[in-house]
Amino acid sequence: MNIIELSGVTKTFGSVVAVDDLSLKVPKGSIYGFIGPNGSGKTTSIRMIMKIMYPDKGQLLINGHEHDSQRLRNVGYLPEDRGLYKKMKLGDLLLFHGELNEGKDLKKWIDYWLDRLDLMEYKEKKVETLSKGMKQKLQFIATILHQPELIILDEPFSGLDPINADLLKDVILELQKKGTTIIFSTHDMSMAEKMCDYIFMIYQGKKVLDGTLTDIQGQYGNDTLQIQSEMGISALEGIAGIEKVNDFGKLQEVRVSSGSDPQQILIELLKKTRISRFEITKPSLNDIFIRIASPERKEAHHE
Amino acid sequence: MNKILTLFKREYRAAVRTKSFIISLLLVPIMMGGGIAAMLIMENKKETEDKTFVVVDYSGLMAEPLRAALELRNQNEIFDPETGEKVNSAYRVEFVEPSEDLMTQQRELSERVQSAELHAFIEIGPDILHPSKDSESYLRYYSEHAFGDDMRYWFRTIINDQLRLLRVTELNLEAEQTADLFHWLEVDGMGLVTVDKKTGEQQKAEKSNELQSFLVPYVIMILMFMLVMMSAVPLLTSVMEEKSEKIAEVLLGSITPFQFMMGKVLGGIGVSLTTAAIYVSAAIFTLKYMGYESLIPYDVLPWFFVYTIFFIIMVGSGMASLGATANDSKDAQSLTFPGIIPVILPMFVMVPVIQDPSGPLATTMSLIPPFTPTIMMIRLATPVTVPLWQPIVGLLGVILFTIFTVWIGARVFRTAILIQGQKPTIGNLIKYAFKN
Repeated sequence: MNIIELSGVTKTFGSVVAVDDLSLKVPKGSIYGFIGPNGSGKTTSIRMIMKIMYPDKGQLLINGHEHDSQRLRNVGYLPEDRGLYKKMKLGDLLLFHGELNEGKDLKKWIDYWLDRLDLMEYKEKKVETLSKGMKQKLQFIATILHQPELIILDEPFSGLDPINADLLKDVILELQKKGTTIIFSTHDMSMAEKMCDYIFMIYQGKKVLDGTLTDIQGQYGNDTLQIQSEMGISALEGIAGIEKVNDFGKLQEVRVSSGSDPQQILIELLKKTRISRFEITKPSLNDIFIRIASPERKEAHHE
Repeated sequence: MNKILTLFKREYRAAVRTKSFIISLLLVPIMMGGGIAAMLIMENKKETEDKTFVVVDYSGLMAEPLRAALELRNQNEIFDPETGEKVNSAYRVEFVEPSEDLMTQQRELSERVQSAELHAFIEIGPDILHPSKDSESYLRYYSEHAFGDDMRYWFRTIINDQLRLLRVTELNLEAEQTADLFHWLEVDGMGLVTVDKKTGEQQKAEKSNELQSFLVPYVIMILMFMLVMMSAVPLLTSVMEEKSEKIAEVLLGSITPFQFMMGKVLGGIGVSLTTAAIYVSAAIFTLKYMGYESLIPYDVLPWFFVYTIFFIIMVGSGMASLGATANDSKDAQSLTFPGIIPVILPMFVMVPVIQDPSGPLATTMSLIPPFTPTIMMIRLATPVTVPLWQPIVGLLGVILFTIFTVWIGARVFRTAILIQGQKPTIGNLIKYAFKN
């Protein structure tokens, strides 16, 4: 059963096509990652799912129904641009958001989540006294307080330190276990790789990737080598069959040009240096992202 | 509806719980009361310093009568007969012979006034007894601030009384015979005779009170102006802030733009009604306590509340939608004026409307919806009977126009609230309002 189904959805602003003929199915209970460069149409897609914006063309079904202009019930939405009433106390603010979302047992859940996200001691303090990361956690509580069945998070991890990002990740996974569907957009590819059941990438308004990580990586094959050697990147100079090198200093990630044999590359390398690691692997999501949205690709796209 | 109420509660609490609301609530009566108290104190503390005048009498007729009048005044009006306290300034007058060199004399006297040696000097023209077209019949009062100087009127009365006396004497009439020659009658303004609905008794017509005719509509107008300014107008900045601080985007995940706008407008109404209830009951209590209950226009109070509520919705939804188009405080500032035209414009026609509440200007303007609430209220608050159909038709017009402003405001609001960086031009506003 799909909780969200988009078919042929298009949205234009003046002459700019922000979302172009987008079709997407989000299965109930899944974690769906939205990735894409800035300005590619992620937020517009999310706003259309939230009915904050209306598509010019196409159909949008939530739980199999076309919903009317009323706000979605049972959905929690954390936008990318988020603000809070600074002068309100945390407890009052959460109650306000909970009531707006028609939540039940709000007081109980406010205490539960404030405690869970280490904000209990600030309950009677004003929002303006919080740090940026704390505000982000508070905003997250306001999004999930009414126990929605679908949660849409636009960049939930941006601005969080690793500890809080980890905490948020745990909570998201916990919610998924209880049956909640989660859509989140992110620029953090490793987080998307590790957390998402499905990944969807939008680029210049068009869907360019959609599926499980394994499916997506499968499209690119085992064309990536991870190499660690005594000489580092200089060992790779002049070796045939290498399309691109991504240098991480201690490790080089090499894209093998199509038709080339990784074994041949290994033989060439061993002639030059001692190898401590040589791994034939699928490209990372980060690499796939860059392959699709790199400046060279963009230029090629325009030509 | 529940969501609108949730937003209303937040808006209301956020506004009413602030210190600035409580301070402004207290400040207005304190300032008004303080102003009245200051006036009363100042009235009792009249200036009692003696004043010297120079009279240059070209007619040669006024020296004696002025001296006599001054002496009488200085004897009787300077000291309180009971307490012996000095309550008025004594006037001293110095007669100066007219000089051939008029310019020099005037300059010297002016210098004496400037140096505070004199309060003023007066020139009495030579032909004042029988003025004719080309004669020099003038009374000139030279002082630093002749416009607001009551002394001018004292001299005017004394000199004119003396001139009358001289003219009557020339006619060989006795002064006693002519005592009532100049008796001036005022026309008393009366209200209409009414019949008490309960007892059927005819009520005597009451003298119409000039103060009541002006003061009641004036106060009602100012109160309505204040209520709209404190509730509807700030919505512009508040929505602008919620847009620029990205609170709007978060709220729009839970509520529709219409609910958002109406929650805010209702919050404004709540704040206004709280203020109105406090002020109106305080005013009723005070007026009753002071014995001026007749000044309270009980019959127009229901109209006042109904009109005020719709006026706030009308202006408030306009302001909120303009606020949604603003990107920063500069935009908000430039949008405030067009938004408050329906509030400001009636202030300019207030006096003519109070003077002639049934005239064409008052009647027409009171039936143009954006101006109906204020102008109709002024008319209703005057003693003139406004035909009942007019406030009813006016109210219907206001209701229809309010529905229209809410509809158009909501259309602008829902589009503009998410658009960043576009200037709030008229073209954009029309686009937001009429394009999907």
